[in-house]
Amino acid sequence: MTQLFSPSFRAGARTGFREFLPLSVGLIPWALVTGMSMVSVGFSPLQAMGMNIIVFAGTAQLGTLPLIAAGAPLWLIVVTALALNLRFVIFSAAIAQGFRGLGTGARWFSGHLLTDGVFATCIEKMMQNDDKHWRLGYYLAPSVWSWLLWQTFALTGVLAAGSIPKNWSLEFMATIALMLLLLPMAKMRPMLVAALTGGAAAVVLQGMPLRLGLIVAIFAGIAAGFAAEHWHGRRNSGKAAT
Amino acid sequence: MTPAAGLNFDEGFLWLTFLLIGLATTLPRASFIVLGNRVVLPSVVQRALRYAPAAALAAIVVPDIVLVGGSFAPFNPKLAAAAATVAAALLSRNPWLPFIAGMGTLLTLRMGLGW
Repeated sequence: MTQLFSPSFRAGARTGFREFLPLSVGLIPWALVTGMSMVSVGFSPLQAMGMNIIVFAGTAQLGTLPLIAAGAPLWLIVVTALALNLRFVIFSAAIAQGFRGLGTGARWFSGHLLTDGVFATCIEKMMQNDDKHWRLGYYLAPSVWSWLLWQTFALTGVLAAGSIPKNWSLEFMATIALMLLLLPMAKMRPMLVAALTGGAAAVVLQGMPLRLGLIVAIFAGIAAGFAAEHWHGRRNSGKAAT
Repeated sequence: MTPAAGLNFDEGFLWLTFLLIGLATTLPRASFIVLGNRVVLPSVVQRALRYAPAAALAAIVVPDIVLVGGSFAPFNPKLAAAAATVAAALLSRNPWLPFIAGMGTLLTLRMGLGW
């Protein structure tokens, strides 16, 4: 724990916080919408904040809400959450070197707090700086800040949702949020193919028992994206050769 | 009375669900940060994993906006609202506008026009 008070930890924390602060504003609408969406499927404020603190992941929360609301089997909910979170395995692998020399406790804590925004902001300097205390501060300050913002504004959303009439279809906010997460991904061709295949397959297979169609659709999407990447790459290298 | 007082989840099941979703989030996040250099992910696996979120998001969203009562309905308020959302997201950098456009379209069609 002494490392938390070392001057280099604090210097890193200041730098990380300053760099992340303007970006962190983007978390606010997501947290509000997530808070409102959790209430819209019928969670009590305590349940909603419980999920928000335990899970701490907008995509996984918003993505599993329709399944929880529909009474889907537990394993399907968990597999879907895993699929939505697989990107973190890649982020985790990419940023792991930034935690060289640090203990297991700090690594678990940092890992739990890993988010898309902090990853994108911190990855570069996490690789370059040689002071492990500086790196930890640099990573943890924006991470803890994200956590605080996420909890505060989700709670705001939870409390606000209670005073909005039910026939306002607030649950559609979750669908909008998921679409907005999907859009920037779909700008890459193979990713678009993966999304279109996953979406189409989920519609065609919606009659499968236990909503198994969702899992099959996810795998179909991954396979299609992978195939598109190969095909796309081969076509491009063919062009380069001619 | 809360707006959703009619919906009641089994308390224990719900908290178990949160816990498992939490595990399904923390374990991928912590994976390589905790393991460090001991394990290296093959690049084929890394590349395949990249497509999982897009495939999963679409598999959740698309049925919600094109199906009405389990059958394909190319013209429905949700799909119109989805189109408005996408248009707002592509045309503007304002993070709130897609929500306003989507919810506005849905509520106008449902409540204003009774669709």
